[in-house]
Amino acid sequence: MEKESILKDRTIVGSPLTHLFSLGILMFVFWLALSGDFAVKFVVYGLITSAVVAWICYPLLLLPNADGTKKYFALGVSPIAFLCYSMWLLKELVLANIDVVKATVRPELRIDPKVIRFVFRSDNPMAKVLLANSITLTPGTVTMNVTSEGIYEVHALTEGAAEGLLAGAMPRKVAELFGEEFDFTVLKGE
Amino acid sequence: MHIIIVAIMVAVVCVIGMMLQRIYQGPTVYDRMNGLGVTGADTILLIILFGYLDGRPEMYVDIAMSYALIGFVGSVIIAKYLGGKDV
Amino acid sequence: MIADITLREFIAGLFLAGGAFFLLASAIGMLRLPDFYCRLHASGNSETLGVMLSFMGLVIYEGLTLTSLKMIMIFLLIFLGNPIGTHILSKAAYKSGHHVWTLEEDAKEEKNHADLPH
Repeated sequence: MEKESILKDRTIVGSPLTHLFSLGILMFVFWLALSGDFAVKFVVYGLITSAVVAWICYPLLLLPNADGTKKYFALGVSPIAFLCYSMWLLKELVLANIDVVKATVRPELRIDPKVIRFVFRSDNPMAKVLLANSITLTPGTVTMNVTSEGIYEVHALTEGAAEGLLAGAMPRKVAELFGEEFDFTVLKGE
Repeated sequence: MHIIIVAIMVAVVCVIGMMLQRIYQGPTVYDRMNGLGVTGADTILLIILFGYLDGRPEMYVDIAMSYALIGFVGSVIIAKYLGGKDV
Repeated sequence: MIADITLREFIAGLFLAGGAFFLLASAIGMLRLPDFYCRLHASGNSETLGVMLSFMGLVIYEGLTLTSLKMIMIFLLIFLGNPIGTHILSKAAYKSGHHVWTLEEDAKEEKNHADLPH
């Protein structure tokens, strides 16, 4: 085949050797946790297996952006920033859940469902994925559809959840995590 | 600790029973699929709690991990089938 | 029987009780809400939090062993996987044309005495 080697591909953002190394380390930690046996023979088998799996799986994890000019690695965020983002997300999750439980358990239901739409554009496709997942994880809002231009259609259960989403704290944090500029507009009307 | 685990297991079995009512009654097919997804996630918890009752949590955690992987993948596949060719 | 509960078992019991409460609340919401998209809220969000709190209680009870590391892996799988399942089911229903129910429609239909659309 006449493809260039993947290590010399120019359109990947970031260095492929670092990506391969971190992927291999992740596979090896997973292998050790599942196996539980720390004899030397098994550790050597684990290293060889995780290196082979990382080499095979790496081209599948490269996602192209909308134009097709650049390719991003799917797990290419720094772990510490991601950990801070998850802590913030867990706090939001618990607080909003208490509101939804209060609205549904009472003898009379106090819900007001409607569909909201907004636009969020970003170069990295993982930012769109993370935003859709975080909106679904927050109680009171469920992502219904994401078109290829970046229009999000979201179904909201109560008034408070809709207001909290349209205020824009969550897309701002996602854009900060990936190092992009913040591009968020709210579409009004039907 | 034994009695706390038995109480939580009774609660989870009640939740699975309520989901069976939703699977029976739901007017559309998407309601039934929703009930199945909740049943799958609750069954994972039930397997691990049963492992504590039996005295061997190490074995049951492995079983629960395989069930979680297969259950999640199956749920996504059936949802893609129900949605038509646009999803 | 009540007196010999250690502190670790007590905290684990608190987390387990909180998890069971959220599970029961989500199941009650699932039986009462009027439309498919609203029921998806109750199951996808509250039930995930209930299972997550129960898992945290079990990890606290177990301590720092290999079993608790595997339980943290299952916890991450459910934490990331349940919203994906919820979203794709909602997208399938939306693309197939399932109708979204809002409050103004309900008031208009009660005035006209028509049947609810499916």
